[in-house]
Amino acid sequence: MNSDSLIWWDWVGRHGHDIWVATLEHLQLTLIAVGVGLLLSILLAAISLRWRSTYWFIAGTAGVLYTIPSLALFAFLVTWTGFTTLTAEIGLVSYTLLILLRNIVEGLDGVPPDVKEAAEAMGYRPTPRFFAVDLRLATPAIMTGLRIATVTTIGLVTVTGLIGQGGYGSFIDAGLKRNFSTEVMVGAGLSVVMAIILDGILVAIGWALTPWLRAGKTSRRDRTSRPALPEPEPADLVGQVG
Amino acid sequence: MGSLHAFFTFLGDGDHWVGPHGIPHRTYEHLRLSLTAIAISAAIAMPLAAWLGHIRRGGVVAQWMLNIGRAVPSLAILAIVFRVSLQWGFGLGFWPVVPALVALGIPPLFANTYAGVAGVDPTVIEAAKGMGFRPGQVLTKVEIPNALPLALAGLRVASLQVIATATLGAYVAFDALGSFINEGFRQQDPGKLLTGSVAVALLALAFDGGLGLAARRASPWRRIDRRVTTADDPIESV
Amino acid sequence: MALLGTLALVATACGSSSKSSTSSAASAPAITIGAQDFGESAILAQIYKQGLEDKGYKVDVQKLGGFRDLEVTAFDKKTINFAPEYAASMLEFLNGKKGEASGDVDATVTKLQTYLAPKGLVATDASKAVDTNAFVVTKATADKYGLKSLSDLASKGQSLTLGGPADCATNAFCIPGLKSKYGLDLSAKFKSLETGQVAPALDAGQIDVALLFSTDSTIKTKNYVLLTDDKSMLAADNVVPVVTTDLGSNADLAKAINAISATLTTQKLIDMNERYDVQKDDEAVIAKDYLTSEHLIG
Repeated sequence: MNSDSLIWWDWVGRHGHDIWVATLEHLQLTLIAVGVGLLLSILLAAISLRWRSTYWFIAGTAGVLYTIPSLALFAFLVTWTGFTTLTAEIGLVSYTLLILLRNIVEGLDGVPPDVKEAAEAMGYRPTPRFFAVDLRLATPAIMTGLRIATVTTIGLVTVTGLIGQGGYGSFIDAGLKRNFSTEVMVGAGLSVVMAIILDGILVAIGWALTPWLRAGKTSRRDRTSRPALPEPEPADLVGQVG
Repeated sequence: MGSLHAFFTFLGDGDHWVGPHGIPHRTYEHLRLSLTAIAISAAIAMPLAAWLGHIRRGGVVAQWMLNIGRAVPSLAILAIVFRVSLQWGFGLGFWPVVPALVALGIPPLFANTYAGVAGVDPTVIEAAKGMGFRPGQVLTKVEIPNALPLALAGLRVASLQVIATATLGAYVAFDALGSFINEGFRQQDPGKLLTGSVAVALLALAFDGGLGLAARRASPWRRIDRRVTTADDPIESV
Repeated sequence: MALLGTLALVATACGSSSKSSTSSAASAPAITIGAQDFGESAILAQIYKQGLEDKGYKVDVQKLGGFRDLEVTAFDKKTINFAPEYAASMLEFLNGKKGEASGDVDATVTKLQTYLAPKGLVATDASKAVDTNAFVVTKATADKYGLKSLSDLASKGQSLTLGGPADCATNAFCIPGLKSKYGLDLSAKFKSLETGQVAPALDAGQIDVALLFSTDSTIKTKNYVLLTDDKSMLAADNVVPVVTTDLGSNADLAKAINAISATLTTQKLIDMNERYDVQKDDEAVIAKDYLTSEHLIG
């Protein structure tokens, strides 16, 4: 074994099973966090839009949660909820809130009022209209938020390796502490791969959910001189990483 | 609750305010590291992004980098760089942490600067060319000033990320605010842990606030709010 | 009548054969072993885990993410009920660094029990294996400053940089011990490192003095100079499992634990650490091989 090289491939070969288990753990942690985060954010967004004055407070709280270093948040939570998946999830969900909330609110806000009125004229009452019309039209913004939240969460799950949670973070944690670069590289590399794959899946889902954007090519022609950057608010794409 | 009490006790202990492991020194070290990393990120990302934005190439790369870059675990970068830097004699602590933070800072700075420069209204550019501006002047006199708000917003994002993640330096013997968190956790000292977290959060918020003010000053012709950019075409975003 | 009698005989025969091996294992509570953030702790946790599982117990390992502070908190919160510990260090941790530990392992363990009891804990038999703190320097440093013992370090090395696990700042046999026994304060320049980073940092010259564990295989292989503890700061740090009293009162379980502890020696720890630190083998594999060679499983 060449002890100086960064990756010992035979180690990787021998640990296929462990890598598979870690992949499932990482995926599970990520999907639960983003799923719960999404539901919570939609709820919070609906509240913020219904009672405008609360948005400032809700977004502010999510924002402050955001500035807490991930390491500190997890370490702090451990003393309350122990070295459990719950601890990891509480932290992970908190970080998704700001990203998703902002994007959902922007998206819902961007629904033109005349569309809403037309829907109500057709017989929709406010709550069904919210789900059938508003959310659907806000889909692009929501998908963008979901992409960012998912990729950010994948990175953050690795930090939970420091508090004994699994996923690729356990490789990085072990590799860091025993000075074994192979484990670190495996953990980091696979995180990026998972991010690329999940991001791609979300792009596909977003594309599938918004047929009205695919239909009209004309609206795009006069924007050739501008880059078609998908993020509406690159400025607001705050990212906590591990 | 107990943790809050421990927090104030920790702050009240004079020993914690002096010496190389004290709050002021560690705050200074944290700032020193963060500012260095932010400066290097800006020096790399902004000129490149401004140029690419000017010639309007690389937008897709910008968006993709911004997204995927978030998934690269900083802790992993730290571990690898540390190992390498030990062999090359770069010392413990400071320099091994810089690459990881620069990797964090570049994506938002690049993407935002690019978006800012490339997103300048084409009619404005036409007008400038009509007035006789050469391409170089278009860049410096039209695109960059217009890009300033977005670029500054990117700087805010980058700074926030860098300051928060610099706490990981504690894992490679960098003695700064992150050490309070690492030690606080390992020694089960909630006062210490809270001190580190609060200090970093305050630092980040202060920076963010300061940059927000600078952004307001930088473009008096435009009202800056948090939804600063392109309410232009949110529907285009997929 | 005869049928009933036969059935009764068969019943008691079945009953008595299962009683000795599985009934106490089945009735024992689930065991969770806490493993600290260094290789040897992880290996020992696996050794006890697999060894006890072989006897029918339900055992889990919980990574603590740190050192003794986290372990004691975990005991208090009842998230673990077993931890492979070190007699003298555990004693000095619990008694607030009173200095009651000595080189006599029996006396040290007896004293330790008095501090464990109020916490609902008890120590099972101590093993012969010892892992204590080791202050090492490279040969070059030793020659340059003329260092052979910790007293030399105290007189000639006050400006040197010490590197070691985060634990060092509060561990009775590290910085505080050097201060009280040798009058040497290395806290100002102390570099807190992960356990696997300490030796590489020493090799790279980034630290002058390294706090390693005495069972670290690299001390011999890399020709480090181990500074002698001439004023006897270090004490009997024998490996000793600490368990909750309800586990400890289970006679069969205690017997099984002691059987494992009896096989451990310092040299075997060094060999296992070598596999972990240098070969980068998994602790579970190392433990399994150990137990197999000691005929404790299989």
